[in-house]
Amino acid sequence: MGSARRFADFNFLMNSEHIVSQSDRILVTGSNGFIGSRVVATLLEYGYSNLRCFVRPSSRLGRLTETLDRFPSGKDVQVISGDLLSRDDCRNATGNVSIIYHLAAGVEKSFAGAFMNSALSTRNLIDAFLECGQPKRFVNVSSFGVYSNLNLKRGSLLDETCPLESAPQKRFDAYSFGKLKQDELVIEYGAKQNLPYVILRPGMVFGPGKPSLSGRVGIDTFGVFLHMGGSNRLPMTFVDNCADAIVLAGLKPGVNGEVFNVVDDELLTSRQFLRAYKQNVRRFFSVPVPYFVARGMCGLWERYSRWSEGQLPPVFNRRRCSAEWKGNRFSNRKLHEKLGWTPRVPMREALIAFFSQYQTAAAVPPR
Amino acid sequence: MLRIAIIGCGKIADQHVLAVARIPNCQIVAVCDREVLMARQLGERFGIPDAFSDVGEMLKAVKPDVVHITTPPQSHFSLARQCFEAGCHVYLEKPFTVTADEAEQLIRLAEASRLKLTAGHNLQFTPEMLEMRQWVRNGFLGGKPLHLESHFPYSLADVTYIGPVLGSKNHWVRKLPGQLLHNILSHPIAKLAEFLDDELDEITARAYQSPRLRELGGQEILDELRVMIRDRSGTTAYLCFSTQIRPGINQFRIFGPNNSMLVDHGSGCVVCHSNRPNKSYLAFFLPPFHMAREHFRCGCRNIKGFLTRRLHQDSGMKELIERLYASILADGPPPLPYREILLTARIMDQIFAQIYHPDRSVPTEPALQPAL
Repeated sequence: MGSARRFADFNFLMNSEHIVSQSDRILVTGSNGFIGSRVVATLLEYGYSNLRCFVRPSSRLGRLTETLDRFPSGKDVQVISGDLLSRDDCRNATGNVSIIYHLAAGVEKSFAGAFMNSALSTRNLIDAFLECGQPKRFVNVSSFGVYSNLNLKRGSLLDETCPLESAPQKRFDAYSFGKLKQDELVIEYGAKQNLPYVILRPGMVFGPGKPSLSGRVGIDTFGVFLHMGGSNRLPMTFVDNCADAIVLAGLKPGVNGEVFNVVDDELLTSRQFLRAYKQNVRRFFSVPVPYFVARGMCGLWERYSRWSEGQLPPVFNRRRCSAEWKGNRFSNRKLHEKLGWTPRVPMREALIAFFSQYQTAAAVPPR
Repeated sequence: MLRIAIIGCGKIADQHVLAVARIPNCQIVAVCDREVLMARQLGERFGIPDAFSDVGEMLKAVKPDVVHITTPPQSHFSLARQCFEAGCHVYLEKPFTVTADEAEQLIRLAEASRLKLTAGHNLQFTPEMLEMRQWVRNGFLGGKPLHLESHFPYSLADVTYIGPVLGSKNHWVRKLPGQLLHNILSHPIAKLAEFLDDELDEITARAYQSPRLRELGGQEILDELRVMIRDRSGTTAYLCFSTQIRPGINQFRIFGPNNSMLVDHGSGCVVCHSNRPNKSYLAFFLPPFHMAREHFRCGCRNIKGFLTRRLHQDSGMKELIERLYASILADGPPPLPYREILLTARIMDQIFAQIYHPDRSVPTEPALQPAL
């Protein structure tokens, strides 16, 4: 993605405007991940090379190694492996650390697994940070999935003031449940133990390295691609832009306790995105499903699931339907105003970069 | 109304809660986990009133009738004993215990305390296994089984489970005598144990590491297993556990002197193979139609089951739990004969002794073993 990065045009913040100096130690969890590796790259671009990258012992470090190799200061970066469920590993990771960018996420299908790998691991990390680190900022990377727009009207604004999901188990979305509990825990630590935190909730993060089509565009569960809510705006954020926002959230003074939604300036509709995908990747048959039909079908599925005592689990339900396909507006005003963030990669370039991955690798179909 | 408690609030605990919710006259009154946040998240999601981090405290405070233990197997023995001492019946998830010795002691304790105990061999109670048993009871095989085959698949594609196991030598799975195999093998072995005699003349086990696991950094873990067993009465059995065979085969075959059966867990089918000699070219024409008829019958049964809300994917667990509760209320025999639980544990012990050296570094060569 080097070609897409336009740092010459990018208005860097001066280090004097950051809460830490370049010699302060920064920990990045999930640093080998899709977003985490970009966060590491952005920090190195900012001149922060006293980095500690935390990875799972089983991780193949392709993304991270490639990132570190691109920077001369990459050789100074410390890579440690461990398990965030181990308090000892967390203590080892957080020693003398000033900022933590916490991107490690539980991608478990089960609720217990998601909770364990999101909330429990975060609890261990924060405890260790408060005990062994020099806490200046804990950047908690969450998800749009924690919001509930069940009672929002179609087309209304979904921003940081919107209510969080009150019944995550009814949405049958383990990932969002784990993230919701993780956020609650971070906020609690902020209130009770003065943890200096910032929460970021990225929308639909896309970019090279993540070839799959988001469920917000459609689903292929039934053997044919169902294109949901064609005129909906997608809460898209290109991975490099998202990484910029995350990095700024850790460095910018005066934002402790704040929550930021992360979406880019120019958002496409689901229909525009799918059309571009078909033009640039491959053509396939899709069936457009209007929102009212999707909502009706999800409602029926939910009722059948209840009637049959879970013979079909409630994977499709009204809460999920609202969250993914209702069609709300999104705002990044707070990001602009409080973090001074602007998306460095415009949508057109972002799409070119996203689609280019299919030309360099074997094309990956949406299903 | 039976009062139920769950110890261990990890992934499998959800399945227990959902299964218990479909059984009348029982209620989950408490959940317990060493990590209280885990207990709370389970309790919150299912509206269970009490969450504990201490087993003793929970047993004293809520006095459950039945405790489901869904913790890693290393803690099964001590927790089950603690529950018996508190007067509770126990459902113990698989693998039942770490060793057959522990299994034997627990069964003795249960019998001495006049409390019920069962193992989480839920695949023994799927609709297709219940149907197979009915055919066997009706004499379809024509006598004692001559040969048994149990095939069990395991996929390494989803690394959310295998990843943490490979990532840490301290993972509880790595500390089991049979490692990855230990955590899963009781399912296919329990099917064999049901039809084998207690006295076994021969067990020969051979295990390998698959190329895929090697690629993932499998270290000393073995994931391909083949076992031959022969009991004293002459019934033979074959076990194939594979992470490589595609599509994954989850089947049990039982061969009798007259007829045979195939139980396919993947499609929920029982296919009966009747001994019908056909003359000349009819041997090529009729049997395929007989097979088609068998599959058609299974398909119709499954559709009927779905339409009548009886085709739950975890129906085996619900059936097993329901039978355990019924045995408690009626003071009847436990759903799984203790003989089968014990034989399963003993076969597992023998297999792991053959395939792993004590230092766990090199798989052993297969060798004939003395009778158990």
